[in-house]
Amino acid sequence: MSGFRARNQVAIAGYAQSPIVRHASQSLGTLAVETARQAIADAGLEVEAIDGFVGASLLPTAGGHRVEDGVSVVSPNWLAQHLGTKPQYVAGFAGVGQIPGSVAMAVNAVASGAADYVLVHRALHNPPGRYHANPLTEVGGDQQWTAPQGYFGPLAMIALPYNEYLQRFGARREAMAAVVIEARKNGARIPWSYWHDKPLTAEEYLEAPTLFDPVCRYDCDIPVDGVAAFVFTSAERARDMPHRPVYVGGYGMSAVTRPRLPLHWPLDDIMEGGAHVARNLWAQARIGPGDVDLPQVYDGFSPFVWFWLEALGFCPTGEAHRYVAEGGIDSDRPDALPALSGGGALGNGRMHGVPQMLECYLQLSQRAGGRQRDRATVGVACHASPHYGGAVVYSAEPL
Amino acid sequence: MTNARPVPVPDERSAPFWTAAANHVLTLARCSHCHSYSLPPGAVCAQCGTTEPAFVFEPVDSRGTVRSWTVVRQSFLPGFDDDLPFVLVDVELDVQAELRMIGRLLDGVDVPLQVGDVVDVAFEDLAPGVSVPAFALVR
Repeated sequence: MSGFRARNQVAIAGYAQSPIVRHASQSLGTLAVETARQAIADAGLEVEAIDGFVGASLLPTAGGHRVEDGVSVVSPNWLAQHLGTKPQYVAGFAGVGQIPGSVAMAVNAVASGAADYVLVHRALHNPPGRYHANPLTEVGGDQQWTAPQGYFGPLAMIALPYNEYLQRFGARREAMAAVVIEARKNGARIPWSYWHDKPLTAEEYLEAPTLFDPVCRYDCDIPVDGVAAFVFTSAERARDMPHRPVYVGGYGMSAVTRPRLPLHWPLDDIMEGGAHVARNLWAQARIGPGDVDLPQVYDGFSPFVWFWLEALGFCPTGEAHRYVAEGGIDSDRPDALPALSGGGALGNGRMHGVPQMLECYLQLSQRAGGRQRDRATVGVACHASPHYGGAVVYSAEPL
Repeated sequence: MTNARPVPVPDERSAPFWTAAANHVLTLARCSHCHSYSLPPGAVCAQCGTTEPAFVFEPVDSRGTVRSWTVVRQSFLPGFDDDLPFVLVDVELDVQAELRMIGRLLDGVDVPLQVGDVVDVAFEDLAPGVSVPAFALVR
């Protein structure tokens, strides 16, 4: 890599976030159009000014649900079409770390001059019926190596590396209560969250039966309907816009290097991928974990919090369970990391990496209202597994 | 009504595996170029990168060690409802470093497990001519 030239050159200039609900009273497409219009207006722009659209339209379910653009997913193309614009640049991110992946594409588009104002959106849908249940009776393709044997769905996927971690480092699942309680505490303070005013106690967490040992229901984010949209533009233009710009310092994406059985995520793969993300992230942004006062780790499944804290160097390998259990990520303690201050996916609902990105934007632009933190200068927003996702560095001032 | 467990649909890359499995023999796909095993066998050899692996399925030592496990108490595949709860084990086969296979552990949910426990492949018969690999502890 010959040097990341987009560092500090691109900024977020506005946003909008819909309420996060179990099932919206309107279609996902109309919710996306309305949220996009709000985000564009928030940036002080007319819809016609948006000349770039980037997003990802994965429906993250193992169930046999039908994928239909504008109904169960909203692609960037669908959104541009229904906003009635004629963008120069429309692109979809097809990987697993959809939020950092989309942000990277938007940053590249702005920095290269392919587009001046890029709207990044994510629309998540909770289809009717059981989210992951699948009545399939015959299995072809790669899943024939796992599903007939009983290995199927994302809970089994995360349970294996989670238990591998517990066994390797002598950790106990009771230590995970601190992660989930912290996410729900912060989510309970957020008006648009599904879990608004609904914190979780340690007793509730520990009494919940396991579904795929050691995973219980509270270790999983809840499927929801919700849309978020962000406007990206050049740092230069952003400085003349209504809100304080939040700069992109760099991003790191994982590269999966070893073919595996479907949904097989061994702990070593996760941590090797995380090391790769961290190397690229810190190299692009030219900072290290010690410079970050607003890390937002991904938590769609609670063990990811431990994995990300270790992968990015916020605590030593094998220590995250102890670090978190001892209050290391408490957003109310000045000496702790506010690693889930935005509530994460566990505290908001299954919005993928949106809560992490949104918290970075709100805090760094001084728009967090009553939740505004005294010290928020450099943030990191993570998404997905360290080996199948990525992270973005944001800052209140150019780094 | 009881739902049936899903059965594999053999294809040109997997048919010899399932034929051998029906006779309770574990085979693995071996690359004709670098002679390493791949699971699943893909279009490109995972070890040497050849685009013409011409995989040959060979019977292998079916022992391995447990790397991780989970107890499944709620399956997303209704065909497993009658088997709940059951144990899934993530096994590294002895035949090649990092060659991992996942399957049910047929010893039940009450046996204590540790990383490194030795297992051997056992087969479950799902239908006439259809058997899938699982594991059993070697004591």
